[in-house]
Amino acid sequence: MIPRVLTWGSEHLVTAKYSRRLAKWFTTLSPKEKAKIIKDVTQLVLSRRTRMCNFLEYKDSKVVYRRYASLFFIAGCASTDNELITLEVVHRYVEQMDKYYGNVCELDIIFNFQKAYFILDELLLAGEMQESSKKNVLRCISQQDSLEDMEVSY
Amino acid sequence: MSSMRGLVQFIADLRNARARELEEKRVNKELANIRQKFKGGSLNGYQKKKYVCKLLYVYIQGYDVDFGHLEAVNLISSTKYSEKQIGYLAVTLFFHEQHELLHLVVNSIRKDLLDHNELNNCLALHAVANVGGREMGEALSTDVHRLLISPTSKAFVKKKAALTLLRLYRKYPGIVQIEWAERIISLMDDADMGVTLSVTSLVMALVQDKPEEYRGSYVKAAQRLKRIVVENDVAPDYLYYRVPCPWIQVKLLRLLQYYPPSEDSHVREIIRESLQQIMNIAMDTPKNVQQNNAQNAVLFEAINLLIHLDTEHSLMMQVSSRLGKYIQSRETNVRYLGLEAMTHFAARAETLDPIKKHQNIILGSLRDRDISVRRKGLDLIYSMCDTTNAGPIVNELLRYLQTADYGIREEMVLKVAILTEKYATDAQWYIDMTLKLLSLAGDHVNDEVWQRVIQIVTNNEELQAYAAHTLLNYLKADCHESLVKIGCYVLGEFGHLIADNQGSSPIEQFLALQAKMITSTDNTRAMILSSFIKFVNLFPEIKPQLLHIFRLYSHSPDSELQQRAFEYLSLATLPTDDLLRTVCDEMPPFSERASILLSRLHQKTAGTTDKKTWVVGGKDANQDKKEVLMAQNTGLKRTFTTIVNGTNAGTNGTAASPASSATGDLAGLDLSASSAPPPPNMASAAHLTPDWDIGYNRLYFKGQGVLFEDAQIQVGLRSEYRGHIGVVKVYISNKSTFPIGSLTTTLDNRAAPNLKIDTKSLPDSSLSAAGQTQQTFFIEAHGPFTDAPTIRISYLAGALQAYTLQLPVLMHRYMEPSTLSAEEFFKRWRQIGGSPLEAQNTFGVVAKAKDINETFTRQTVEGFGWRIVDNVDPNPKNIVGCAVYHFATGKTGCLLRLEPNYEKMMYRITIRATQEAVPQALAKQMEQKLAQGSTSDHYA
Repeated sequence: MIPRVLTWGSEHLVTAKYSRRLAKWFTTLSPKEKAKIIKDVTQLVLSRRTRMCNFLEYKDSKVVYRRYASLFFIAGCASTDNELITLEVVHRYVEQMDKYYGNVCELDIIFNFQKAYFILDELLLAGEMQESSKKNVLRCISQQDSLEDMEVSY
Repeated sequence: MSSMRGLVQFIADLRNARARELEEKRVNKELANIRQKFKGGSLNGYQKKKYVCKLLYVYIQGYDVDFGHLEAVNLISSTKYSEKQIGYLAVTLFFHEQHELLHLVVNSIRKDLLDHNELNNCLALHAVANVGGREMGEALSTDVHRLLISPTSKAFVKKKAALTLLRLYRKYPGIVQIEWAERIISLMDDADMGVTLSVTSLVMALVQDKPEEYRGSYVKAAQRLKRIVVENDVAPDYLYYRVPCPWIQVKLLRLLQYYPPSEDSHVREIIRESLQQIMNIAMDTPKNVQQNNAQNAVLFEAINLLIHLDTEHSLMMQVSSRLGKYIQSRETNVRYLGLEAMTHFAARAETLDPIKKHQNIILGSLRDRDISVRRKGLDLIYSMCDTTNAGPIVNELLRYLQTADYGIREEMVLKVAILTEKYATDAQWYIDMTLKLLSLAGDHVNDEVWQRVIQIVTNNEELQAYAAHTLLNYLKADCHESLVKIGCYVLGEFGHLIADNQGSSPIEQFLALQAKMITSTDNTRAMILSSFIKFVNLFPEIKPQLLHIFRLYSHSPDSELQQRAFEYLSLATLPTDDLLRTVCDEMPPFSERASILLSRLHQKTAGTTDKKTWVVGGKDANQDKKEVLMAQNTGLKRTFTTIVNGTNAGTNGTAASPASSATGDLAGLDLSASSAPPPPNMASAAHLTPDWDIGYNRLYFKGQGVLFEDAQIQVGLRSEYRGHIGVVKVYISNKSTFPIGSLTTTLDNRAAPNLKIDTKSLPDSSLSAAGQTQQTFFIEAHGPFTDAPTIRISYLAGALQAYTLQLPVLMHRYMEPSTLSAEEFFKRWRQIGGSPLEAQNTFGVVAKAKDINETFTRQTVEGFGWRIVDNVDPNPKNIVGCAVYHFATGKTGCLLRLEPNYEKMMYRITIRATQEAVPQALAKQMEQKLAQGSTSDHYA
């Protein structure tokens, strides 16, 4: 069960142009391959209508996606993976950021992109769920933050 | 969180840029600035961090960043955490596992792995888990492993170490050492759910490659699942919208699918309880989307396990009725998953009837508004097809093909082609459907499909005339090029079969093909030319027209066509047609090989990382290991019950047995057939713990006592035997002053199937100081056996402790004395006669044995369950005995004659029994025991 990639970005509704915010890859691919996958998959996802299911097939793997307002979260995984639990990994990540930033919005992710990566590292490692307790993840992140604050005040 | 002002300003600038060009300008300006700063070289840590952050942002926006990598590497060795953290982030984003600078960070990573500060351990683990490859794995895996198993590691370090090891294992399996298995499995019992979750992921990957070494994980998974699902043993933090950690549930349920169903009734019972509970919970109406998804994620994984087990019929009944509802659900996700689960069910089920009940709804799913659902529908329809419903299903698929999405058509054509071939009962139907398929599918046809039609027609005589006739009709009208290809080939080979029919004369066949030459591609034209040379041989009456075409094409600009036409022209104008006849001789049947269609179909699914436990297709497809390995052995020769030209099905052969060459070809693909030596089985007799034999010998004839004891634990035994059944209880007591965890027992039964062992209960996995737990086994004799079962007991007390002990369970436990008079004894002895119902051994006692005497000998004989019959043998020293050996399907009478020679310290033993193999096994066992002599203290 390896989610191969988790990417999130937003769609400008008017221009239907999708701009990628962040991407995290769990498999080794060349930049060219990555670009192609992102392009193909975002196109597929953007063409989906509401009330369709959250999964679709792409080549030999599966794409699980979910939309939060204008933000799309897209995860790629193996075709044998459990789709719904992958979907809830995405949700748990969103909740985790919500809890950390306090009502997260796109700008939080943009201006503190490094935090978005740090939170993800506490949640997923090697593409697998590492910790599903919100409290535990938050504890790790605030520990990091307080260490950082201490260093800055010196 | 602290922010870097320069960075925030920079990001704001980029966001305010109105056009892409302005943004680029700003980026280039900043890059130039940073390059300058880095060149200057006198930056402090904070500045370096800020600039690397800017570079990261630029990189994330999709720009190329080809400098600053060294500065990022420098940050890693900073003493400040925030700088180190950004350095590591940059390394994971900029670098990949083969990056040339990666070797520079290996030493810094090792330093952080060894650091006493856990946060630094974590950063280093993140880095390895993100960019680690084989090289890094070889350098650092022992450090990562140490963090995983060290008793002083904190939970949040352990879980990261487990997943880091998983990453390294995926990149290079060699880094996980064989000896680690038992220790890694024991971590599945960790009190921390995060650790259990992560370790389970690691174990799942290992189990797929090394099922034997990680067999212990099966029972652990079953137990843990029950504790979570049935006993609700989950910390509140790990409830996800009221569902107890759905992630671990899904993983445990999946792990259980990687093994065949357990033989142990107790283990099956625990799994059954968990599955039933999951089914019950799924009846609750969820309060929100998250609970609904989490519940269903677990439910569908449970359904997959149920289908895999294939033994829980009552649960299966519940499932199949619910699946019927799911595929009609208003929720698209549920429809999708319902169809997927049903496809899995079709792959395993004895009968397709429960699925066929829903045939109309399933066919309706081909018209679902969501393509994801339509694809799943197609998979299911393909799997549920058999001879009874192939007609309507193929018809419906052909109707749907015309409106189907382009993305799905190619696969559909392949599937329809396979179905028509597999379930055709009528030659005409096969030809009609396949040709209709090709005409409807247009360009969405793989070459394999039309090639396969040619192969089938060539190999099945009864199809040839009808195929030629039908194809000619297609050729006369407007038809797709793939039909032209089949048409020209079939007419070239079999056109003469229909030449006397109205409208099918040679010249009409010729004209039909000639008309197609104009619009066809060069490839097809070349094929038509080849058909024409066959026509020269078949129909000399149209030779002038054919020669004309050859002449025409010998001027073709295409070199292939030109050469072909020219060669054919020469061949056709030779003075004699001997050569022509040889060249155009009828084609021999195609060799029986794996179907090109199936290998094409499975090409798509090959290469996924997870082990597939089933393939899309019916039960027969799944029972065939080779199809699961991408191909199947469908012979080219089909059996049609209605034969066009009236010959008997028998003469046409039933579907031919798979050619051995096909099996040979596939042997190389068989991943399970490894040449590596079998993994060590730590529970086996080869790994017995020193001094295991003291307790074993002490309890050899006794029902209860201490089997093993040291400073930490005591293992006691209590057993009772009646007839062929024995109940053995193993008591494990913790003698130390601290609790022990992950107590695990593994039984190794070398005597199976003649000795059957069923686990009735499992020991508690944790044991407090001075605590005791027990495990019960039912051990049944099913025949003669000579190997006693062994048990591996392992537990965590800081480090892993493990013992392998042999249980004193041998044939004598199932022997019962029986009384015979001397007369009867002789009568029976003679009746049974010699070999193979007799075994006789002569042997001396082993050197270290002190003595043998009559008391010892008689006690041993009686210990084995013999009734000693006195005054039978003329020599009073000799011992004669009778007994009955009980086993599950009956009992066998046994007679013994033992001739001791106390002076020479030797015995001769003769045993006769009414069943083969019994005397040999008994004699061997008694020899082993007698040869030890009376040194053993328990005879004193």
